[in-house]
Amino acid sequence: MKADGAVDEFEFFLEKAWSDGLPVVTPTEQRIQHMLAATRRDPGELVGNVPPAMEPATVRDVAIHALMAGCKPEYLPVVLGGLALMLREEFNLNGVQGTMHGVAPLMIVNGPYARKIGLHGGNGCFGPGFRANASIGRAIRLMLLNLGGGIPGVGSATIFATPLRYTACVTENGERSPWPSLAVSKGYGSEDDVITCAMVESPRLCFDDVSQEPARLLNGIADSMVAMGSWNMHARSDMVVAMGPQHASICAATGMSHADVHRRLCELAGRKVRDLKNGGNWRRERALGFPINIDPDDDDCFVPAIKDPRDLQLIVAGGWGPCTAICHGWSGGSRAVHGPYSP
Amino acid sequence: MCSVHDTIEFEKRGIPATVIITQAFRNAAVFQFKGKGMEGHPYVEMPHPISNLKADEMKALALKYVDQVARQLTV
Amino acid sequence: MSEEMSGFIDPTAGGGKAKVAPAARPMDLAGKVVGLLDNTKEQGALILQTIGEALRERYGAAKVVLRSKEHYSKPATDALIDEMAQEVQVAIAAVGG
Repeated sequence: MKADGAVDEFEFFLEKAWSDGLPVVTPTEQRIQHMLAATRRDPGELVGNVPPAMEPATVRDVAIHALMAGCKPEYLPVVLGGLALMLREEFNLNGVQGTMHGVAPLMIVNGPYARKIGLHGGNGCFGPGFRANASIGRAIRLMLLNLGGGIPGVGSATIFATPLRYTACVTENGERSPWPSLAVSKGYGSEDDVITCAMVESPRLCFDDVSQEPARLLNGIADSMVAMGSWNMHARSDMVVAMGPQHASICAATGMSHADVHRRLCELAGRKVRDLKNGGNWRRERALGFPINIDPDDDDCFVPAIKDPRDLQLIVAGGWGPCTAICHGWSGGSRAVHGPYSP
Repeated sequence: MCSVHDTIEFEKRGIPATVIITQAFRNAAVFQFKGKGMEGHPYVEMPHPISNLKADEMKALALKYVDQVARQLTV
Repeated sequence: MSEEMSGFIDPTAGGGKAKVAPAARPMDLAGKVVGLLDNTKEQGALILQTIGEALRERYGAAKVVLRSKEHYSKPATDALIDEMAQEVQVAIAAVGG
């Protein structure tokens, strides 16, 4: 409270149980109307109910959270599109909101509208400094906290969360990628506005400034895709590999396509049973539950990190430099989703 | 979590139900019961973790909660 | 959900949830069929089978019906709950967490 008894708007929202710990742009009716001008949709239209609390998210509610997050009105269609995708049953947002894991719904936005609003896929794209990336991802998180109740210690049993739970929205480095986009690899047109969402952890970085040809390079990247403590090795799980453009160009220079690299990473990334048994989440019963045939009693049996090729989302992003970012996935039956959205 | 949802679905159909949870999910369970209109619904809480218990240890632990389950399912 | 306060809107969720009335409890479990809903998480089936058997031995339950969900992090289908509700008089779900 201010000295004259007036409410300090910043303190008011910072004290909310659903606050992400950072100040929000104060929602006023004027700001809400300004945000809603960016869509032709009826503000009362229900986008869906956010689990587990199952509070409704109307177009107006999404606009309010978008403005609180710092979005410009032109970002609203992306937020609306992203939320709708995340509420699909196969994405299993309900499970992720409560899980002990720390995964977040990473939005990968492709198409001309992403470029128009300044979504960033180059230097520093997973970090601070880019309003569209930061605020679109944050708008989603504020809804998951407020409307969904996915609050640590309350609706969520998350042990660490990860920094990706502050914000998780990125696009590809189209200017420097040797290949068509992730959306095109899934069958969309290059001029389609598409969002892909996958439940993943914060990226870990794989440096390789030695390899000049794909075999060794992909070997090293595949190594970052496996770990005893990664649920990717113990369940069917999504994964995002964001190849830096420099690494992608090493592969493309030999004629490898996006599909070729994707296939090779699926083949290379994995560990033998012998290596997995000695730590982490290995259990015989879990291996028997894979959607592929694994003999958990054969020490030489190779357990792939990617159990279904659809689970690996391969993009080209980041600045120029000898690095690729890898994001590991969840364990609880979430399947990545993708679809078009209307700007 | 979904076991809370399932418990409530039984109750809606006139079937008294309870849910067994582990301690790490207590807050989430209480929150979910409240959020779905059954604030204060009973549950059975086991210590966490249980995944590393051998079969005979798990059985012995489960038997300690039988009376509590019965109380929650009856008048 | 939104209230106007000092010129701004508070979108904090959580107002007015419709209450669900708990099902009437029987006096005891004698002769009752106990439904056991296993969410397939580790130890779930063993916990349920152990408790189910003890409810028969100590509380006179007639029999137990054990069913499994598709995946622990998803709700049981309406069809599965409906099917169990036809057959059982009480139910136990495990393991949340």
